[in-house]
Amino acid sequence: MREAILLSANEREFLVGALQAEQRVDGRRPFDTRRLKVRFGPNDGVCEAQLGPTRVLSSVTAELVEPFPDRPNEGSVRFSVEFSPMASPSFEAGRPSEEAVEVARVIERSLKGSGAIDTEALCVLSGRKVWALNVLIHVLDHGGALLDACSVSVLCALLSFRHPDVTVGGQSGQEVIVHPPHVKEPIQLNIHHLPLAISFAFFEDDGELVVVDPSLKEEAAMRGMLTVCLNPQGELCALQKAGGVAVSTSQIMRCVRIASGKVAERAGQMKALLSEYEQGREKNRIRRRRPHSAMEEENAGSGSAQAGDKSTYHQMESSSDEDSSEEEEEEE
Amino acid sequence: MGKSDNKVSLSPLLGKIAAPGDTILELPKEGDQVVRIGGGLRQTGDNVVATRAGGVTKSPQGLYFVEGSQKRYIPQVDDAIIAVVTKRHGEVFEVDIGGPFRASLSGVAFEGATKRNRPNLKVGALVYGRVISADRDMEPEIECMDAHGKSSGFGPLTGGYMFSCTTGLARVLLSNPPCPILSALGTALSYEIAVGINGRVWSKAEDAQTTILVSNSILNSEFISGKQSEAMVKTLLTRMGKMPV
Repeated sequence: MREAILLSANEREFLVGALQAEQRVDGRRPFDTRRLKVRFGPNDGVCEAQLGPTRVLSSVTAELVEPFPDRPNEGSVRFSVEFSPMASPSFEAGRPSEEAVEVARVIERSLKGSGAIDTEALCVLSGRKVWALNVLIHVLDHGGALLDACSVSVLCALLSFRHPDVTVGGQSGQEVIVHPPHVKEPIQLNIHHLPLAISFAFFEDDGELVVVDPSLKEEAAMRGMLTVCLNPQGELCALQKAGGVAVSTSQIMRCVRIASGKVAERAGQMKALLSEYEQGREKNRIRRRRPHSAMEEENAGSGSAQAGDKSTYHQMESSSDEDSSEEEEEEE
Repeated sequence: MGKSDNKVSLSPLLGKIAAPGDTILELPKEGDQVVRIGGGLRQTGDNVVATRAGGVTKSPQGLYFVEGSQKRYIPQVDDAIIAVVTKRHGEVFEVDIGGPFRASLSGVAFEGATKRNRPNLKVGALVYGRVISADRDMEPEIECMDAHGKSSGFGPLTGGYMFSCTTGLARVLLSNPPCPILSALGTALSYEIAVGINGRVWSKAEDAQTTILVSNSILNSEFISGKQSEAMVKTLLTRMGKMPV
């Protein structure tokens, strides 16, 4: 198996030597994280997160299935990770490698284990029909700190995902009717808190040199790695340190403290990006719900964003009672 | 350098962009004219065909080549490259040059080296070398001296830092006169670089901070203009407290 990156002795020595002077080779300081960019996909529940060159795409889908016999009132969530061979020379197509399985396990522990996803809210008809969520994580480019990018990507995908609204009724009271999105607005998931992963790399024999959000070269030169998953409330959701140099407990505690600051910052960034997406989605939804308006069609056809907006704002003012009440609900 | 009329009509794509498979020129059926082809070109029968995407150029010495920018490096004879030693098989070193195959470097391919007196390169060492053989289907070979056996700057690279860039940026860095970013950095800093056309640049300065500044400035200069490069260097130097002269 090829390595992710071939590091010469010169690079390794220089990198560690520069770290002793608190200099990182990409110009960052030891506790600087890279810029986060998030892009939402064409559909709800698709999100691509970028942390420097590291790129991860997540997509959430749902289907109605029978629940597990021991949990008749709960839906389920399944995570699967794919390391695309275009992401790194060390990734091969086929069965998930040990590293891929590790990523899936940490994400699962931080989200399922901590109870972030409300699985009871996924129950439609007790004992018969529940929503089973399938979260696919595709690593598109490996530039270091995969878990950090994966956790942002998965969370944003889950937060932007909507499953169809269902009503239980019919003659027997056991029929499940799934409503298409243009009939009834799809429903968001119930996410209780936002666990985010922050990775640290240790250098030298005692692991005393530490950096946050390691780049690919730093991961090649490091002696050990620690990933801390916390939510902005400061609750620890997962901790992962698979092998590597032995590190003192005080060093681990130091990392957890640094991580909590980074998580608060990152959660804030994520929320801002998410609300921007939601606002865009709202505008599209309102436009979508008035297909009978000739003016609307004309504006949509001309492709002029400004004209389109004006028409929708105008129509919002003159909307019917039913529509306005739903809009108020969504704006929360 | 005078161009005869025939040469102009030989290459209709000169100065234009070619895609792999495009015929760059057709070899004249008559006459003793010598047409020299370089990187990115291959002769098939009577035609010379491009094997990579890029602009068709002709060097002042009359060598046709296709110049593009890629992350991937395909070895060409006479390319100056930076190699990383990966194995040592007795007298021969196996090195990585960033191409499809690992290359071989003979232990005596250094100036003043004999069978008894060979450089002691460890795995992970960096060398600046020259490609001497680059057949499509064979392992390439490199040596650490020029065609006359003199070192001319080739040989092991000690200390410093190395980073990867595109082949296009590497070519710009090797141009004469020096490109704007290198001149701008040189006004206030003293540094050393070795540029491998395989998309690797080795840099060394008096301290780590300067080396990092030089490396990142060069990387960031690829898609900005000369003036913007000068402005970027000025900002960085001011921030570091090393104003340009």
